Amino acid sequence: MKPAAFAYLAPSSVEEAVDRLAEHGPDARVLAGGQSLVRLMNTRLATPSVVVDVNRIPDLDHIGADNGTVHVGAIARQRSCELAPLVRSRVPLFAEACSQVAHVSVRKRGTVVGSVAFADPCAELPAALLALDGQVVARSRAGERVIDADDFFVGPFENSLAPDEFAVELRIPVTAVERTGSAFVEVSRRHGDLPMCGASTVVQLDEDGAVANARIALCGVGQRPMRARDTEDLLLGQRPADELLAQAAELTAAATDPIGDCHASAAFRRHLARVLTRRSLQTAVARARKEDTDA
Amino acid sequence: MPDKIRISLTVNGVGHDVLVEPRMLLVDFLRDELQLTGTHAGCEQGVCGACTVLLDGETTRSCLLFAAQLDGSSVRTVESLARPDGSLHPIQRAFTENHGLQCGFCTPGMLMAACELLEHTPLPEPEDVKDALSGNLCRCTGYQNIVRSVCAAGRVLATAENGSHPASETAETTGASA
Amino acid sequence: MSTVEHEATTDVGPGSSGRRWIGTNVPRKEDPKLLTGRAGYIGDLTVPGMLHAAVLRSPHAHARIRAVDTSAARALPGVVAVLTGEEALHHVNPMTSFCAEPVPQHAIAVDRVRYPGEAVAAVAATDRYIAEDACALIEVDYEVLPPLVDPVEAMDPGAVKVHETLDSNVVFHRSIDFGEVEADFTRADHVIRRRARWHRMGAQPIETAGAICSYDPFTHDMTVWSNTNFYNFLPWSFAGMLGVANNRLRMIPCPVGGSFGSKHLINKVISIAGSLTKAAGCPVKFLEDRLDNIAANDNVGCDRSYDAELAVSDQGEFLSLRMKIVDDYGAYFQFAHGQHGNALAQPTGPYRIGSVGYDLSAVLTNKVQQGFFRGAGADPGNFILERLVDAAAEELGIDRVELRRRNFIQPDRFPFTVPTGNVYDSGNYEPVLDRALELAGLESWQAEKERMRQQGRYLGIGLATCQERTGYSASEWWILYDKPPLPATSTPESVKLDVDATGNVRVAIGCPLWGNSPETVVSQVVAEEFGIDPAAVSVGYADSTSGALSAGPGGSRVTIMLSGAARGAAGTIRAKMQRIAAHAMEIDVADVECVDGTFQAKGVPSTAMSMADVAMRAHLFMHDNPAGEASGLVETFTYDHPFSSPPTADRKDMGAFYPMVSHACHIPIVEVDPETGAVTVLKYYVVNDSGTLVNPALVEGQVVGGIVQGIGAALMEEYIYDADGALGTPSFREYLLPSMHEAPEVIVEHRETPSPFTEYGVKGVGEGGRLVAPTAIASAIDDALKPLGVWIDELPMTPERVVEAVASAADRMVTG
Repeated sequence: MKPAAFAYLAPSSVEEAVDRLAEHGPDARVLAGGQSLVRLMNTRLATPSVVVDVNRIPDLDHIGADNGTVHVGAIARQRSCELAPLVRSRVPLFAEACSQVAHVSVRKRGTVVGSVAFADPCAELPAALLALDGQVVARSRAGERVIDADDFFVGPFENSLAPDEFAVELRIPVTAVERTGSAFVEVSRRHGDLPMCGASTVVQLDEDGAVANARIALCGVGQRPMRARDTEDLLLGQRPADELLAQAAELTAAATDPIGDCHASAAFRRHLARVLTRRSLQTAVARARKEDTDA
Repeated sequence: MPDKIRISLTVNGVGHDVLVEPRMLLVDFLRDELQLTGTHAGCEQGVCGACTVLLDGETTRSCLLFAAQLDGSSVRTVESLARPDGSLHPIQRAFTENHGLQCGFCTPGMLMAACELLEHTPLPEPEDVKDALSGNLCRCTGYQNIVRSVCAAGRVLATAENGSHPASETAETTGASA
Repeated sequence: MSTVEHEATTDVGPGSSGRRWIGTNVPRKEDPKLLTGRAGYIGDLTVPGMLHAAVLRSPHAHARIRAVDTSAARALPGVVAVLTGEEALHHVNPMTSFCAEPVPQHAIAVDRVRYPGEAVAAVAATDRYIAEDACALIEVDYEVLPPLVDPVEAMDPGAVKVHETLDSNVVFHRSIDFGEVEADFTRADHVIRRRARWHRMGAQPIETAGAICSYDPFTHDMTVWSNTNFYNFLPWSFAGMLGVANNRLRMIPCPVGGSFGSKHLINKVISIAGSLTKAAGCPVKFLEDRLDNIAANDNVGCDRSYDAELAVSDQGEFLSLRMKIVDDYGAYFQFAHGQHGNALAQPTGPYRIGSVGYDLSAVLTNKVQQGFFRGAGADPGNFILERLVDAAAEELGIDRVELRRRNFIQPDRFPFTVPTGNVYDSGNYEPVLDRALELAGLESWQAEKERMRQQGRYLGIGLATCQERTGYSASEWWILYDKPPLPATSTPESVKLDVDATGNVRVAIGCPLWGNSPETVVSQVVAEEFGIDPAAVSVGYADSTSGALSAGPGGSRVTIMLSGAARGAAGTIRAKMQRIAAHAMEIDVADVECVDGTFQAKGVPSTAMSMADVAMRAHLFMHDNPAGEASGLVETFTYDHPFSSPPTADRKDMGAFYPMVSHACHIPIVEVDPETGAVTVLKYYVVNDSGTLVNPALVEGQVVGGIVQGIGAALMEEYIYDADGALGTPSFREYLLPSMHEAPEVIVEHRETPSPFTEYGVKGVGEGGRLVAPTAIASAIDDALKPLGVWIDELPMTPERVVEAVASAADRMVTG
């Protein structure tokens, strides 16, 4: 298990990085945390002829916020994001999702943007970004392009970045605080494994306790992370009683199109989608009502 | 074959100024180029943690990093722990006193991960150890004695830092002394 | 926590009453080199001029190799040799096989590949990176053949054959009744019937298998460094495979980074490195990577389906056990059906069961072959037996604890012969059970279970009382054959001990270090016998030229056998030193005793000679020594199996072949989430009896490590092949090992019922944890989900299987 040969480039600015990508096109891969890419290279499932290491670009590890948006730079590590007070307070769902990615030792090196760009349909962060209506900021020689999460994830390990584009940042709208709760729940074979299924949910209640806004996205149930929009519509304006949540879970499960693998068949993933949608909604609602003491 | 990359790095306090092939993994660089074979490769895809080293003080899997990336970095491996006079590092001592190893293959990775944990969490609870070391697989011990070893090492190091002599008794098992 | 309770039994060894070192937690001698990264595993070794090998493997489960084009690979700078299977045959012979059937096997496939991952070509290059580049340039033209994945389909006479040399894919079938099976079933009041499935799992040591082979074409000497076990047991078989004379072969051991049975031979690795060193003319290292190891190493355990019946009387007395087994052996039969010889050592567990019917079909399919993996065939045996016992308890309405008590072999019945002919040396099972129940605090867990049920949560309390047969005799491997190809009966273990002229003791042991503690054990024994400090004993490893015959670790034997060998060697040398000392002190040899490393006149400590005094005389002063006493103090002592007998010709009595039998009671506490199928092991209690403990802390380490492997077996570990025969679990991302988070707190206690057959009363313990934990966890899941009507008959119980079991139980309840 040794990588094929490649040329190594370590640009010192975003401009230089996009120049290199423009020169080498699809033969080049961006190397950030390397927790997925290097693994694929070691097994020669990925054989880029050029590796553009962006770890030496200054200021790309930023985690900040302005005007209601949280910004996460291309080499901000998952562990940093998980622990950043700013992320925990303004997009708690994202921090919760980060805390469930792999093991601490992996999260210390693995980047948030890298995980999103890798577009593993089972991974936590793409689903969380989708539930949060996040965006990916892409840079190329042509300039900057902002891609909605829903347009970013195309298929398994496939995103909508052009070969000359470099994902420099995530933008995540700050989650409302008032009567709002969120939850990321997942089931994996072992602690730290990619989930067989995960559900990320944000629920805002109105003053009467009915659902004012619900956003639900799942991982592990299809070619890409799935946004459960029909379920969101179903919940709108309704009081989140057990029966409604069960109905929501049913509707979500029916919308999935899972791919089976050695860890879980398609049918089991659909079953988990039902269970986890319900559980994530229950937790999110409890948190919105401030009933959840862990929140 | 693409051009080699010149890097300057420090490994266990020793400076190296070398040319490396871009694809040379850090684990192979340490083992094959520097003959520091204490760092082991178990899976070469970042799952088992056997190759864990400290990169600028943080644990990292040396199978998922290219040596070419390390210009200006500082790496610590298991070879840095014991002294040349044969005295073991307190963490190593805790591992032997608590029988925290059997075949020893995963042990260097466990030790380096423990080093980092104890740096930030001097007196860890078993749950802290599990969170910090869960990315390191051991097939022999069932982990219980590894967790005990790390907790015990924390107590010894904390005592030492308070100025008194490191306690020699770190064994937790009843009757663990002969 | 580990505590030890001593059985009040007669002691078995001389001087045992005042033992100073046996039974104490002597610091582990092996540790410093392992802790400091100085072990020198095979991967750490470099030989001047050494090349590195990589192997191209088949992506297909079953295919004919039409052509292999290696020209581009050969042309790559840095590549020194490339071998296809056919080319390798110029350098090496087919791999050694221990089966009677014509199932030839080559390290690199010739003409046909029979499992996904089988080697098709091998490359030696200046480094591993280039070797892998070269593999990527090799083109293979395959004619894909239909894969055999399901063993039952493979049994069909019309099925495609895995080997044309065989009449059927059922490579071996035998049905034997031990005792009056029919009669016992006829007189039974109840017959408990269950099916069970034990899936394919693998040892997965964190270190893979590897070898450096160095061939000298002028002397025809071959030197092999490797992490194999059998270099001092079957070196001639390696020599035969490598095409060199055995007296030209030198095999040097390396510390082993875990084996769990998977590195007894590692023939493929040694053959590949051996053929490449001959082809390249320089030393070659082949170290498997993880993909190589999972796909193609001999590390796979049993893959069995059971149809089993237990005949029981109204009073709950077990009368007979009958099993029909289909075992999927994969593509080759290298080790024959040894895993069933193993199971037949203890098919009836700790219970009095009068007869056993055993019907085995060993089937070949397109999967990697079985090898040995901790438990080695008795692991599913314990699973099916304990499941039948629990089923009987349920069907007869007798408490599961009480039913076990009624059927335990009583302590006055030992040595006890089981229906297959194997002998259990000693045991006392009820105190183990009683103490385990007490240790677990069962009542408070019962209360917790009730409390959690009120919250809609499912807690389960498992129980298993199982045997661990230890210390095998070689007949295990061939016992089911009428005409075995190699009906060997020896499993020796040797050490070479010498006391140098300055009185220091050095021991070279014949077995390797593979995760256990042979250096510590030997130093404790030698210290005990001479009354010296174990820290002063130097222990090293003898290579294959030493004559230190050794079957090495395996079958939980090595501490038993090393204790015997070390004690034998120490006793021989001590006796010689006593003679020399007596001569020097001019007293009768019977009046000399060895106390604390000095030879003194009994009762007159002032008349004494140190070890050094005696040793210098022995080495350099022949005229001062008794006539006929050769100079020096060196002894190579071979300890043979202490209690074994061959089988009868009709195989109705297999003889004693695995007679040092340990016992344990495991009580795991689990929580099951019936919606997600998640099983969490909350706590684990064990009471273990493996005879005299040489070093309790190390024994506890073996037990706990084995239990966590058993948790893997119960919940997550499995080789999965899809319908096309592709391996779905090629790496540690798919083949799952328990991590720290899946490992519960384990509380271990020991009782000691010494073996009357061994030195100091030692029994083995290496496999016990994994032999008991899987079935104990199964019973815990069962107990948790009993309110939902679930019965566990399959391992591992993955989340999906748990949820399916809950769903099908619900269906059964609905349909009545």
